[in-house]
Amino acid sequence: MSASQSAVRSRAEAVKASRTFDWLICFTLFFVVLGGYHIHYMLTGGDWDFWTDWKDRRLWVTVAPIVAITFPAAVQAMLWWRYRLPFGAVLCILGLLLGEWINRYLNFWGWTYFPVNFVFPSNLMPGAIVLDVILMLSNSMVLTAVLGGLSFGLLFYPGNWPIIAPLHVPVEYNGMMMTLADLQGYHYVRTGTPEYIRMVEKGTLRTFGKDVAPVSAFFSGFMSILIYFIWHFFGQWFNKTDFVKSA
Amino acid sequence: MAATTESVKADAAEAPLLNKKNMYLGALVYIIFYGWVRWYEGVYGWSAGLDSFAPEFETYWMNFLYIEFVLEVSTAGILWGYIWKTRDRKVMSITPREELRRHFTHWVWLVMYGIAIYYGASYFTEQDGTWHQTIVRDTDFTPSHIIEFYLSYPIYIITGGAAFLYAKTRLPAYQQGLSLQYLVSVVGPFMILPNVGLNEWGHTFWFMEELFVAPLHYGFVFFGWAALGVMGVVNTEVASIAKLLKKDLA
Repeated sequence: MSASQSAVRSRAEAVKASRTFDWLICFTLFFVVLGGYHIHYMLTGGDWDFWTDWKDRRLWVTVAPIVAITFPAAVQAMLWWRYRLPFGAVLCILGLLLGEWINRYLNFWGWTYFPVNFVFPSNLMPGAIVLDVILMLSNSMVLTAVLGGLSFGLLFYPGNWPIIAPLHVPVEYNGMMMTLADLQGYHYVRTGTPEYIRMVEKGTLRTFGKDVAPVSAFFSGFMSILIYFIWHFFGQWFNKTDFVKSA
Repeated sequence: MAATTESVKADAAEAPLLNKKNMYLGALVYIIFYGWVRWYEGVYGWSAGLDSFAPEFETYWMNFLYIEFVLEVSTAGILWGYIWKTRDRKVMSITPREELRRHFTHWVWLVMYGIAIYYGASYFTEQDGTWHQTIVRDTDFTPSHIIEFYLSYPIYIITGGAAFLYAKTRLPAYQQGLSLQYLVSVVGPFMILPNVGLNEWGHTFWFMEELFVAPLHYGFVFFGWAALGVMGVVNTEVASIAKLLKKDLA
């Protein structure tokens, strides 16, 4: 290969080739990250995300942000720290939500006939926007981890509150007090996931009633800070361009 | 003058840098095929997929499984064998334009990998959740597993393997050894398939209920992380393409 030779015939062709690569890269990155992130999220927090009767004030609020901040932290380590693109977290969440919504419509509703207002995914977008904005404004990984991670945990419940509130209204049914979401769960029986394995609002924290959600969100924010740090470094490793040389 | 005319003719006859037709056709093949698969699930999942001891289960689901095994092994053998057999033995002496063209072809493979990963890791895996949380399984080879584990996973493995082999056999940027992040992004998701062994063993031995967040499933999670290796592949590609175009973009 000669260094003097050019790969393109003109500047215009070079620009066109460069733009085309941008699109191909964006498409591939989006869908591969979507696949990896979705399988991670559905198997670490999925049950709370699938069903409204799992979307309680305690475990859902605690678990979802902790397991969701992983890929955004890793992808930010690429898009911001290598290319100064301030949308790593939003890209991940958009991918995750796209994968989830397609599934809830075509499969949860289309194949197993659960109504969509029983199986809609959690909204993670407010936390993702804040995470990206803090990184862009501060250009600091530490600040993004501490402030962004904490916000990611704290914003989860308020970000979902308008959606879930109507289903957390208390109802009395056959002499028992429950939420509308619980009632949905009793009516739409999932034989493969019987009631005894549902994990919601365990522990003594619920004794304090109204404090359950904010305390859970605060704990989730604390854990999200730690997870952000770890996954930032995971992301850095995945960003390398190492080669294994044959002996 | 004659030489110029020849050169213009050669340009006109030259293959395009990016073969868009191949790319769109490839994407359509995945989308139409998986659309048909989803239709098949919808029709035969409920009507023939609930009782693995029923004769119709054998007809519509086990035969589907046997056919896909044969097709997958032969597709992988033929495709990977072809890419390897037709490898460029003088890859370091290709022209910059040919190198650029090959990068485009490589990206067509990577786009296909993106589509295949989406269907395998996202679409059919979460679909498995709703099927098994609704239906009690009486076999490891359920309608959902026959599609998810034994169809959509092998398809992304075959596609990822083809992309990796193409890069290794035709692009100068990958001649300094084996790209670690590329290996991780292809081998990691591949390992999800052997991990099915643990999954099935666990569901047979411990519990047949479906709790998606159960630790039994963490193997899938761990290997799913490997998809992030695509970031290293993008970085390698960006560096190589920038080297090819930088002078002309300045």
